[in-house]
Amino acid sequence: MKIEGSSTIQAAPARTFALLIDEDVLRRCVPGVRRLIREGEDRFAVILDVGFGSVQGTYEGRVALSEKVPPSRLQIAVDGQGRLGFVRGKGLLQLESDEKSGAHLTRIAYQGEVQIGGALASVGQRMVQGAAKAMVGQFFAAIEAEAKAAESPVPVPVKHGRLRNLLRWLRSILRGLFQRRAVRRARPERNRAASQGGN
Amino acid sequence: MSEREPYVGRRIKRTEDPRLIQGLGRYVDDLRFADLHHVSILRSPHAHAKVTSLDASKARSASGVLAVVTVDDLDRANVGDVPCGAVLSGMKKPTHRPLARRKVRFAGEPLAAVVAPSLAAARDAIDLIAVEYDPLSAVIDPEAALKPGAPLVHEELETNRAFDWSVSSGDIEAAFKSAARVASQRIVHQRLIPCSIEPRGVVAQYFPGDRQLTLYTSTQIPHLVRTMLAGVIGLPENHVRVVAPEVGGGFGSKLNFYAEEILLAFLAMQLAPRPLKWIETRPENFAATIHGRGQVGTIEAAVNRDGRILGVRYRSIQDLGAYPQLLGPAIPTLTGLMAAGCYKMDSILVEVTGVYTNQMSTDAYRGAGRPEATYQIERLMDIIADEMHIDPADLRRRNMPHPEEFPFKTATGLTYDSGNYRKALDRALEIAGIEKLREEQRTLRDQGRLIGIGISSYAEICALGPSAAVPAGGWESATVRVEPTGKVTILTGASPHGQGEETTFAQLAADFFGISLEDILVKHGDTAEVQYGIGTFGSRNMAVGGTALLRAMERVRDKAKPLAAHLLGAASPDAVTFSGGTFSAGDQSISFAEVANAAHRAASIPDGFEPGLSATASFEPKNFTFPFGTHVCVVEVDRETGDVTFLRYVAVDDCGKAINPLLVDGQIHGGIAQSIGQALYEEAIYDEAGQLVTGELMDYAIPKAHQCPHFETERTETPTDVNPLGVKGVGEAGTIGATPAIVNAVIDALEPFGVTHIDMPLKPEKIWRLMQKEGR
Amino acid sequence: MIPSTFDYAAPQTLEDVLFLLKSGGANGKLLSGGQSLIPVLKLRLAAPERLIDLGRIPGLRRINAETDPISIGAMATHASIEDSEALRAVCPLLPQVAGCIGDRQVRNRGTIGGSLANADPAADWPAAVLALDAELVAAGFGDAVKSIPARKFFQGMMKTALAPGSLLVEIRIRRPASGGAAYQKVRQSASGFAIAGVAAILEYGPDRVGKQVGIGITGVAQYPYPATAVEKALVGKRLDEKTIAAASQLAGESIDDPISDIHASGNYRLHLARVHCARALRRAAGLNPSP
Repeated sequence: MKIEGSSTIQAAPARTFALLIDEDVLRRCVPGVRRLIREGEDRFAVILDVGFGSVQGTYEGRVALSEKVPPSRLQIAVDGQGRLGFVRGKGLLQLESDEKSGAHLTRIAYQGEVQIGGALASVGQRMVQGAAKAMVGQFFAAIEAEAKAAESPVPVPVKHGRLRNLLRWLRSILRGLFQRRAVRRARPERNRAASQGGN
Repeated sequence: MSEREPYVGRRIKRTEDPRLIQGLGRYVDDLRFADLHHVSILRSPHAHAKVTSLDASKARSASGVLAVVTVDDLDRANVGDVPCGAVLSGMKKPTHRPLARRKVRFAGEPLAAVVAPSLAAARDAIDLIAVEYDPLSAVIDPEAALKPGAPLVHEELETNRAFDWSVSSGDIEAAFKSAARVASQRIVHQRLIPCSIEPRGVVAQYFPGDRQLTLYTSTQIPHLVRTMLAGVIGLPENHVRVVAPEVGGGFGSKLNFYAEEILLAFLAMQLAPRPLKWIETRPENFAATIHGRGQVGTIEAAVNRDGRILGVRYRSIQDLGAYPQLLGPAIPTLTGLMAAGCYKMDSILVEVTGVYTNQMSTDAYRGAGRPEATYQIERLMDIIADEMHIDPADLRRRNMPHPEEFPFKTATGLTYDSGNYRKALDRALEIAGIEKLREEQRTLRDQGRLIGIGISSYAEICALGPSAAVPAGGWESATVRVEPTGKVTILTGASPHGQGEETTFAQLAADFFGISLEDILVKHGDTAEVQYGIGTFGSRNMAVGGTALLRAMERVRDKAKPLAAHLLGAASPDAVTFSGGTFSAGDQSISFAEVANAAHRAASIPDGFEPGLSATASFEPKNFTFPFGTHVCVVEVDRETGDVTFLRYVAVDDCGKAINPLLVDGQIHGGIAQSIGQALYEEAIYDEAGQLVTGELMDYAIPKAHQCPHFETERTETPTDVNPLGVKGVGEAGTIGATPAIVNAVIDALEPFGVTHIDMPLKPEKIWRLMQKEGR
Repeated sequence: MIPSTFDYAAPQTLEDVLFLLKSGGANGKLLSGGQSLIPVLKLRLAAPERLIDLGRIPGLRRINAETDPISIGAMATHASIEDSEALRAVCPLLPQVAGCIGDRQVRNRGTIGGSLANADPAADWPAAVLALDAELVAAGFGDAVKSIPARKFFQGMMKTALAPGSLLVEIRIRRPASGGAAYQKVRQSASGFAIAGVAAILEYGPDRVGKQVGIGITGVAQYPYPATAVEKALVGKRLDEKTIAAASQLAGESIDDPISDIHASGNYRLHLARVHCARALRRAAGLNPSP
């Protein structure tokens, strides 16, 4: 199936292009990435978890970058296999500067083909197009978030993941505090529900 | 004995049904075995790819797995190829291994098999087999397959072109030169999935001590499978037993010999004496059981001023799929032989090219080539009628042979046995009330409603057939065994799988011997029990199998007569008459049962009489038979959405003598239902990469009961002299006659839009788009 | 067709469900009617480590048609809603939609909550709850009970506002005032899913002026949506052939990416949305059905 569209990123083309080929960025932005490891100059081994509705599967394979013409052109190819079958996709990204009211903007036009095969292809066709579009949308939204984060005054993480882990820990503390409060508040309802019993 | 209304000709409910309805039928999956192991098959997800590596080590060492096999194991054991029984002259035939070797050629092609004590363990182990594929471009469209530069399905053949076949007679060039009008239409017969309610399944067991292999398989041709399997697996034929237990429908998809049957036999021999079972899942049934139709071509007719057809020219391409299966190449030749339909013409030219594509094989599916023939000539008749402003029924009448012209030699060289085509046409129109219908149509059209009336007149070729013309022989066998107690056991070489011969053969025997239906048992399907026979396909059970039965019954009677004469003290067997279950001579009589008993007791037998009372016979038909009929369909098309609603459906069919009219009706109903599927709903769709996207009943719409109209059916009875029963066969007639009636009706409904043709399936959106295009 | 091995839990209380969901994380799937989940498991398109069966949770199947809002437990089967005379009396759209789902066997097991949470873009319930402006009540770990308006619930292709670790427990529907309702469904012939499904509910008095208009459409867009343009075009207007015909032309408004597959193209679905919106509205308004 064909996937095409465009996305606008709040960063200059050079910066955007750099994000698109950055291993750490890809690891954070490709939806469902469980593992992404550089294998070569422009090749990564990936494990991707994919899901929509009740369908859930894992693809293991490769992402390859090619036709790199920084900062305007990039081809991403994906090739994976799993219990759902196989997936092969190739997408051409063309970046161009989109100056608007002085801000740095890049418009990414993408067009590509995704082919799925195997079990998912034989029964899941009607949802695959929508799911693929949703994933592409998620990817660019994540790239956009990366671009924004890079502009805001937060210390650049020295080592991969440490700042993220720190933020996560803080968040979990806060959540725990909030939940305890919520539990206390809810207790009277809980007793009422328990006393109703029966089916 | 009291006079009894004959069973033959009576509408009797089937004796098969009570057990089936109560869930007491024993299909392959119901059979019980000790120490049963299960087989799961790894299938290619790619339509076309090199297999660069296959690592089954994890699967082999998984807990519970008994074995994992690939083609290397088959090669080592000298297991043969999946055969094709219809290799046409000059045909390029590829090697077809039961498991793919280094290259896969259709999505679903088997690559490996896992054996484990539980189905879950076998299925889990499939996921542990690591295969690396190097995908290749797939060729899907059969016309594209012939273009230079198309990916080659079989490199060693250097082409995708499998065969060129043609039939012709008369001077077709002259016909077209002299024609007042040439009508032409390109027609696509889409791929269909037979979708029998019971998918395929096999249980195999081998005892090495006495080298006995038993294969239980859901098949239409147990004896033929036995012969082929013995050859492929390397066992003497008389050491192989094939059993077709209760079979839940086939429609031609089980008229075949599959890789999985070979595979299970091989595994059983390797893992003897464990019984091994494989049952198809529905997705496997869709992907790896043969598909029907798949022909695309252009039909043209040269017509004179009065609407008489001078000649027909048909050029087509048959999509064979990746491999030719048992009869695949033969199917479009039946289209060619029946290309003239039920019409007279002086010349004809049919040219069919078979091509390989990266899809599942096509082969026989209810009608097997004849639905295509009838569909296109009937569409063309409507096109001619429209272009030349001749009434469609009238046009057909003008071109039909008269009853006196039968046996009628067709332009393609067939001899139609008997027929009264006009009678069926006129009767169908009478039941439909065609004048009133046309009037109502005019009135409703003025109101803006889209009503259409479609006619289809067909003649079809069945009761296969003369052995010279049928790949493994076209005769059929029967043994009639009278037991000492007078009960009768019939062993038929036919292999019914829903047709009802347990009832209809019993009707024949009950009348012949004057005994009760309950005293007769009809057995079939087990090669250890039943003498060699050919099987069930091509609407042949009654015409060929029933005649073999008649012969065997006559032999039993002729054997019993001398004994009866002896017991009655008659002068000679010629003095004995047999009627109503009683042998009489003068005023003496003796019952059938008494004679049976005496034959076995043998205490008092005449000279030369061999004790026992049974006989075997076979019948070799000297021709096919040619049922015919006319269907009339009335539909309404929703102007806003393109939805089609049936208003009426009339079918007048002639299958010669009807042994059980209830079952004949049933065959017609089922045939029309499958035609409705083909006309309006069904299509097996592969995407450009060769993925079968209609991989489950979620996306492949077989018709449901509420989508079928009330069928107004009637029969005419024009007997045939091809067999003494006067029976023609009716199993496929409905599927052949109905599709064009439905499509002709829809196109008639769209007349205000100037629509002249639509390819099946006539889905609402297709119809809607045409209405938008012509825009009125 | 054999699923991969899974653990099976059949908790007896809602708390236990929530705890199991939280502790298991993404590896646990809720099992309500199983009519979507079990086929997926059999085809091995998913292999959750644990199924958490909601069948033994008390109170989740209850249908209460006497209250306002009407209350339907998330585990109420489609069949129980289809058969409910009490619901038919106060909100006939609900039994009508229920009766259009799959077939009777599916309806005997499938649940309204399961269907809504799964949010298949062609499921029937979403059209109904959007038309009725229903409140979908979800419970999360720690008894955080949330009421989510239906019109905020469907957020993307099979994506809902349900937070991870929470589940639907109740559907609340404001009792419709006098008027009419209808569900028009174009079935995909094989699966029975909607190629286009339009649920329409009208509230009007003797003057036949539209007081409340609710229209939910499924099968057409990437996710079910309310046809707000049509609603706006009819509120305060007299409900007749002309106004309905004109308003229905807006049924596909703002849908620029309709579903397109082997069964129907996006354009055709939008067309069906318009045609069946008009037919549903005509039926709901008590006008003669189209020929």
